[in-house]
Amino acid sequence: MPYAFGGYMGQVLRIDLGREKALAEPLPREFVRNYLGGTGFAARILFDELKPRIDALSPENRLIFATGPLTGTLWPTAGRWGAYAKAPLTGIWGESHCGGFFGPELKYAGYDVLILQDRAKRPVYVWIDDGNVQILPAKDMWGRNTAETTDMIRERHGDREAEVACIGQAGERLVRFACIMNNYQDAAGRVGLGAVMGSKRLKAVAVRGTRGVKVADEEKFMELVEDAHERALKQPQAQQMTKYGTPLLVAYKSNIGELPTRNHQTGVFVNSDKLNADTIRAKYYVKTRSCFACRIMCKKVNRIQEGRYKGTVSGGPEYESIYSLGTNCGVNNFGAVLKANYLCNIYGMDAISAGCVVAWLMECYERGLVTRERCDGLDLRWGNHEAMVALIEKIARRQGIGGLLAEGSYRAAKRLGKGSERYVMHVKGMEISGQDGRTHRSAALTHAISVRGADHLRSLVTIDQLGYEETAAKRYGKDKLPEICDPYTEKYKALVVKDTEDTFAIRDSLIVCWYSCGWPPIFWMPDFAAASEAATGIKELGKLDEMYRIAQRICNLRRAFNIREGLSRKDDTLPPRFTREPMPEGPGKGKVANLELMLREYYQLRDWPNGVPSRKALVGLGLAGVADELGRLGRL
Amino acid sequence: MARIVYAGEGCTGCKTCSVACTYAHDREFNLRASRIWVVKEEPATDYPATCVHCAKPRCQEACPVKAVIKAGDLVLVDEGACIGCGACIEACPFGAITLHPARRVAIKCDLCRGEEPQCVKFCPAGVLKLQVPAAIAQEKRVK
Repeated sequence: MPYAFGGYMGQVLRIDLGREKALAEPLPREFVRNYLGGTGFAARILFDELKPRIDALSPENRLIFATGPLTGTLWPTAGRWGAYAKAPLTGIWGESHCGGFFGPELKYAGYDVLILQDRAKRPVYVWIDDGNVQILPAKDMWGRNTAETTDMIRERHGDREAEVACIGQAGERLVRFACIMNNYQDAAGRVGLGAVMGSKRLKAVAVRGTRGVKVADEEKFMELVEDAHERALKQPQAQQMTKYGTPLLVAYKSNIGELPTRNHQTGVFVNSDKLNADTIRAKYYVKTRSCFACRIMCKKVNRIQEGRYKGTVSGGPEYESIYSLGTNCGVNNFGAVLKANYLCNIYGMDAISAGCVVAWLMECYERGLVTRERCDGLDLRWGNHEAMVALIEKIARRQGIGGLLAEGSYRAAKRLGKGSERYVMHVKGMEISGQDGRTHRSAALTHAISVRGADHLRSLVTIDQLGYEETAAKRYGKDKLPEICDPYTEKYKALVVKDTEDTFAIRDSLIVCWYSCGWPPIFWMPDFAAASEAATGIKELGKLDEMYRIAQRICNLRRAFNIREGLSRKDDTLPPRFTREPMPEGPGKGKVANLELMLREYYQLRDWPNGVPSRKALVGLGLAGVADELGRLGRL
Repeated sequence: MARIVYAGEGCTGCKTCSVACTYAHDREFNLRASRIWVVKEEPATDYPATCVHCAKPRCQEACPVKAVIKAGDLVLVDEGACIGCGACIEACPFGAITLHPARRVAIKCDLCRGEEPQCVKFCPAGVLKLQVPAAIAQEKRVK
C-alpha cells in the first residue's frame, strides 16, 4: 500500500496559484483517524486555514477538492468527490458533492486532497499528470463553456480519458451560484463554488492518474462489495431509479401535494403529468448513463423532437431541476426545462438556485414589485417558459436583469427592496430545494439547520415522506411507529434528522452517493463502518460508536465554522411561508411547520445550547482548540 | 474460442468493468491498467472495447520477440519476454492491447485465465457476456 492505511493515496496536493507552485504534502494520519475523508478533511482544513469573515471571492479563500477512502474503489457509487470553500452565495461553510469520474482520477494520480489557494495573475488551468503538476495558461479557454473547455483540455493533452473539473462563463463572471462541472453533466452544483474558481482565475483542474487504490483487507472488502452490489441490484426502488431516475419523484410528490409550485405558493401543480417520469420515458428518453462504478444508474439523456426546443439533447433533468426550472416557475413545458437545465450545465450554474431566483422574480412580477421594463421587457407571468429560458441566459451573461439575479435571490431582494425580501425562499442565503416543510415536517428542520443553507442533501429523511416503515423500525425501533413515519407530525423528527445528518457526514467523507444511502434506503452506518474497516485496516472504524463519534466531530466542526462566521440560532429558520402560510390546497391543506419544537429537540440532542456547540461537547470530541478559538472570539 | 461480448446496447459508461479488471489482475483499483475500456462520447454514446482473441492475431505477427502467444484459442502476452516496444499496440485493429502504466509491458484481456471474467461478473447493466462465436451467430440469427 502507498500509505499507512488502505484506501488512501497518502498525499495532499497544495497549489499556490499566485506563486504558480505545487507541493505534495503527506496526508496527516491524524486526519484519517479523526475525520475519515471528504467533508471531514475539508472541515479541518478550512477551519484551520481560513481567517474568519474573509470575502469568499477574495484570494484568501481556499478551494478544496477532496476524496475519501472508498473513492475510486468498486464499492457501488464510489465515484464521488467533494468541493469545499467558504461559499460565495451564503458567506458560510460551503460544500458541494459531485459524481462523474473526476474523484477516482484524482486518487489514481496519487492525491486524496487538493488545496487551491491564492489567486492566479492570469487565467490558468491546472494539469495534474501523476506527480507532474503544471499551472498552464487558459487565456484561450476563458469565455468558453464547460463542454468546450473539457474538449479543449483533452485535445491539448492528447488524452480523451483525462478528467476535467471546470467552470463555464457563469463562474468566470462570479455568478454567486456558479457550479463546477465534470464530465459534461455532473455538477458540484450548490453554494457557488464555481465563482470561487472564477475569483481565483482558475478555469479548470484536469487530471490523469495511473496509480491504483489499494485496500487493507482485500478479501473482506470484496466480499462486502459483492454483497453491496447484490443488495443495490435487488432493491425495488433502486430498480425504479435505474429505469426512470429521480424524475420518478414528480408523480409521487404530486400525489402527496408536495410538488413545490410558483415559488412554493402551493404543493399542487396542475398538469404535473407533463413533467413526470412516465411522460419523459415515453416521449423524450434516449439513454441511461451512470457515474463511476455505479449500480443505481440513475442518469438519463433526453431529447426534444419537436416544438420550440427541438434538437435539445442533454443529460437530465433531475427531479430538483424539474422542480426549480419547471413547477416552481409554473412551467409545464418539458422542452423548456431540459433546455434551461442544459444551459445551466454548459454555462456552469446551479440549476436549483437558477430556477429559484427566476421563481422569486416571477412572484415579484405577479405582485407588482417589478415592472416589465425593469425585467428587460420580459413578460414574467407564471409559466412563461420562453421568459424563464431567456433569464437563464441573462444570468450567465450578467446581462440586464440577469446581473441582479446572478447575485442570488437573497442579495437581489435586498437590492430591489419594496418588500420583495418576503418572497425569497431561502435559508442562510441559499435558495430552498424541492421539498416543503409544511407537508414533510422533517424537511423543515433539515432546511433550517443544514450547514450550507436551505438544502436537503445533508440530512433529508425519506422514511417519513416515502413511508419506509420497515427501515424505520430497524433503525429506530418499532415503538416509534407510526409517528416516526408520519410526515405531518414533528414527533421524533429531530432524532431522525440528527441521525441522518451524522450518517450523511460519514457518507460525504467516504465518499459515496446519497442514492442508495438516503434514498433508496439500502446502506446505512453499519455498512459504512464495515466497509471503512476493511478498506483502511483501522479496526476502530468498524465500530459504530467510533463512526458516530467521527460524524459528530465533523458536524460540530462545520457548525463551529459557521458560528465563527457570526451565525447564531436565529439563522436556523425558514421563510414565513412555511411556518405561517398554511398549505393552501391538496392533501396537506391547512398544514404549517412547527419549526421551534423540532429545533429545541435537535439542539438538545446535539448538546448545542441555544444553537452553539457547548464547550463540553467540543472538548468531548477532541475539539478543545476549536472551543478555545470560539471562546476567544466571544462566540461560545 | 470464447471472448467478451457486448450485447450492443445498454452500456451506461460506468467503467465498473475496467476497475473490476484491474482489481482481478493487479489487486488494486485503477482505470489505466485495465484490459477492457469504455468509450464515452457526448451526448449519449458509451460502449466497452476489449480483445476479441483473433484467429490470426496481428499483435502476434507484429511482436519482434514472440511475446504474444496463442494458448489454445486465447491470445496471451508472455510478460517475461515482452520488451515493451508497443509494436502490438500499433498492429491491433481494435485498440485492445496496451502497456501497463507501471510495469511497462503489454497487457491485454486473458479472460481471467479460466476464472470467471470479472468484467462480466461486475457489469451493473449486465450487458457483457462470455460467449463463443458460434453462440453469438446463433443468437444473431434468432434476432
